[in-house]
Amino acid sequence: MSEMMRNRLMLAAAIFLAAIYLFPLYWMYITALKTGSAMFATPPQFWPSDPQWQIYGEVWQSRNMGRYLFNSLVIAFGAVSLICVLGVGCAYVLARYRNVWVDIGLFLILMLQVLPASLMITPIFVGFSQIGLLASPRFAVILAIAAKSMPFFVVLVRATFMSVPQELEEAALVDGNSRVGAFWHIVLPLARNGILVSAILIFMQAFGEFVYSKSIIQAVELQPASVGLNSFMGPNTNEWNNIMAYATMYVTPILAIFVLLQRRIVSGLTSGALK
Amino acid sequence: MGIRNLLVMGAFALASVSTFAVSAKAEDVTISVWSLDRDIQPAPTLVADFNKLNTGIKVEYRQIQFDDVVSEAMRAYSTGQAPDIIAIDNPEHALFASRGAFLDLTDMIAKSSEIKTANYFPGPLASTMWDGKNYGVPKATNTIALYYNKDMFKAKGLDPNKPPQTWDELLDAARKLTDPGANVYGLAFSAKGNEEGTFQFLPWAQMAGGGYENINSEGSIKALDVWKTIIDEKLASRDSLTRGQWDSTGTFNSGNAAMAISGPWELDRMLTEAKFDWGVALLPVPEAGAERSSAMGDFNWAIFANTQHPAEAFKVLEYFVSQDIRMFSDFGQLPARSDIAIPATGKPLKDEALKVFTEQLKYAKPRGPHPEWPKISKAIQDAIQAALTGQMSSKDALDQAAEKIKAVLG
Amino acid sequence: MKRFFSSITDGKGFDILLVAFPLGYLFLMSGLPLLYNVLMSFQEVDMFSLGTFWRPFVGLKNYRDLFAQPETLPILYNTGIFVVASIAGQFLLGFGLALFFWTNFPGASWLRGLFLVSWVMPGLVVGAIWNWILSGDFGVLNFLLRETGIIDGNIFWRSDPDFSLWAVIIANIWLGMAFNMILLSVGLSAIPKDLYEAAELDGANAFQRFWTITLPMMRSSIGAIISLGLIFTLQQFDLFAAITSGGPNNSSNVTQYWAWDLSFRQYDFAKGATISVIMIVFVMFASVVYVRSTRHEVRG
Repeated sequence: MSEMMRNRLMLAAAIFLAAIYLFPLYWMYITALKTGSAMFATPPQFWPSDPQWQIYGEVWQSRNMGRYLFNSLVIAFGAVSLICVLGVGCAYVLARYRNVWVDIGLFLILMLQVLPASLMITPIFVGFSQIGLLASPRFAVILAIAAKSMPFFVVLVRATFMSVPQELEEAALVDGNSRVGAFWHIVLPLARNGILVSAILIFMQAFGEFVYSKSIIQAVELQPASVGLNSFMGPNTNEWNNIMAYATMYVTPILAIFVLLQRRIVSGLTSGALK
Repeated sequence: MGIRNLLVMGAFALASVSTFAVSAKAEDVTISVWSLDRDIQPAPTLVADFNKLNTGIKVEYRQIQFDDVVSEAMRAYSTGQAPDIIAIDNPEHALFASRGAFLDLTDMIAKSSEIKTANYFPGPLASTMWDGKNYGVPKATNTIALYYNKDMFKAKGLDPNKPPQTWDELLDAARKLTDPGANVYGLAFSAKGNEEGTFQFLPWAQMAGGGYENINSEGSIKALDVWKTIIDEKLASRDSLTRGQWDSTGTFNSGNAAMAISGPWELDRMLTEAKFDWGVALLPVPEAGAERSSAMGDFNWAIFANTQHPAEAFKVLEYFVSQDIRMFSDFGQLPARSDIAIPATGKPLKDEALKVFTEQLKYAKPRGPHPEWPKISKAIQDAIQAALTGQMSSKDALDQAAEKIKAVLG
Repeated sequence: MKRFFSSITDGKGFDILLVAFPLGYLFLMSGLPLLYNVLMSFQEVDMFSLGTFWRPFVGLKNYRDLFAQPETLPILYNTGIFVVASIAGQFLLGFGLALFFWTNFPGASWLRGLFLVSWVMPGLVVGAIWNWILSGDFGVLNFLLRETGIIDGNIFWRSDPDFSLWAVIIANIWLGMAFNMILLSVGLSAIPKDLYEAAELDGANAFQRFWTITLPMMRSSIGAIISLGLIFTLQQFDLFAAITSGGPNNSSNVTQYWAWDLSFRQYDFAKGATISVIMIVFVMFASVVYVRSTRHEVRG
């Protein structure tokens, strides 16, 4: 079999697999465009006979989505910044040594994210209310998300630091750099890609965070898009086409950014930046 | 300065930059209101209207989800963050009232010219009472009845003006109307494992002489057996076990079910979506002449006991109550009042349905009131689900439920 | 004092400082809430006493009550199935895809990127989409299975006790596959190519190469992925809430959903906390596996 044939076959297989995998996403886009009765039609329509394009405008307007998305951005940026500031150094140290303290540190970091957010929210809410943090709810949510996502970030970034040759750092120290200098000028730039990619992955998680935001942020002007989406769902409010239209507008921007950046993300993850 | 003060100050500084400034006159009293109503429903609309009156009271509104109402309210109350006013589902009212979390409104209501207990239907009113005192006012009321597709009745040789009256007739009609080839089920209802399942099942048990206090009575077992027949013979979708009422009725609207059991909250959507002639009938009874019953649903208004402004909060409640007349025409909801004649809407199907629901409402019974209603309800849901999935017989399932309920009732 | 500062810029103090801040932060934001849950499991918790720590202690009563409930064992059993099946599915499919894209053909890296999409999607949205796809009468999955002749009648994924847990597992595998694939790709690309060349010269076939080179070299990646996967799987909550709500009749209920259900639907906070303590024990096990797996790491 020629190289060319093989490549074509592989590509066809890959596209086929991707089509299966992406079907749920397609179904979201298509359901959004259906009328109320077309949604329940059997057999289901794979392309709506009467696409309701105006639904996007209606949902955007009636749900005030601009504000929701802005809040999601604020929360996600805040959480990622905080995680980076706290997590990078931690990951660096945990990668630099190999002893029982590092084992304990890693163990604790993982242990601390054992419970789902739905069980952590009550104690967090109680604690925040006692120190008055509920007065600035978006900030409180950023703090909570940072704690939730940091362990995962540390695990990823630690792997990145593992791939930075220790000799480089030692050479810098011999040249008269301080530890801070060596970390700042040598190690960090080499690990930059992996950190960036991990930060993007965390950002996307934080952008969709729901449980903390729902309970902590009570003022509707400050709520993120996930809470806005949830306000569609309830026993008497299951309008699937509107839900899907909202979901479409919610995830499409991040999907678009992701598709544009994905080669860099994937190569950043696979080409040694993150081993 | 202690560390705590520093933290508070820091948080405050952050708050002042991170929250939008709320423009309110200095002398305004702010009252916060929580309910599950969204934009086009009563609570936010009434709040907006109230704020336009400039009474010196500014009302802030927050929407919470049905599933979250109680947990959010409890968390907020136990940490001193509770709102002034909340809309609470009627079976859960006693949970808060019995613990003194709600303000006793008895005296204020006695002096009020707007709120008069005599004006309310007894069922909804009873759900706001605890120990003989008033801990709230009914926000609206609803109940369930049988929607049916008249066109399908005609097509299957049934008389569209004679909807089923008894359980046997209902089963017969459902068998005739079920048409798997055309993807039509005879009936749509909800046996979901949450409050909706209890809400739909209890009327059946009550009509047969049962109730939550004697959930394993012969009548209740018969009721559950009928439900099981409906599911086993595929007269209703198996997804009735996990689908709520709104989704189930959606299949009726799209012509995939010939009958549906649900409430008046469906009317507005049905008017726009259902492309066929439909009607509403009273819930079928076990046999001709049997006692009627129905479920009593919807929310109550209450004021939290730790409010800073009880008088102002009560004024807001009075305003809400004064607007009850708009409930049906503007929002498709039924006021819980016997003194209000609901004006005709000019839409024949809706006005026709209103008559049936008003009649059905006379038989509506409250769930409880009991401060541990969620546990009672959970026992009933478990029994329904165990029987309908075939894991237990109706009798065993309800016996188990009765035992659990007995433990709760003491 | 000078030594203290120089230690911070140039010695052990630097390391300790870098670790102490995040760990302290995590302790405050995650550790204390965890302890609060543990504490609650030994107390009689009242819905209105949530805001305080001083509640009557009841010893092991909550644990005894919990295990006296008939649904406890089935739910623990479900949790086991959910965790094992989800991780196995995510891992095998993820590994398969990673190997597939590793063969490197034109467009491979671009298409591989698309497989990260489920990572980007908010859990709430994923739950809503799958709820809709898995619906019994109108679900597109049943339609596709029917059309291809795999099934005769509709499967009620959400409402049939034989299938409800698997409905959530299917959605969860879809959700977690991306994460597995990408981390496994990372592990694969770290294996030196010359190892394979040498093996090929020795006459090892593809299967032998996979068994003797790929798997052993991937040991640390696999350990990390499986233990992280266990934690993610035990945290999976949104899908249960959106697809089955644990029903019907607890047939798809798992500990993380049940704990929430007990706490916030039945207001039995103490029992909810008790279950979360059982989960902590589970995860402790996973953390040990992860930490042990890092021992095989090779520093680049």
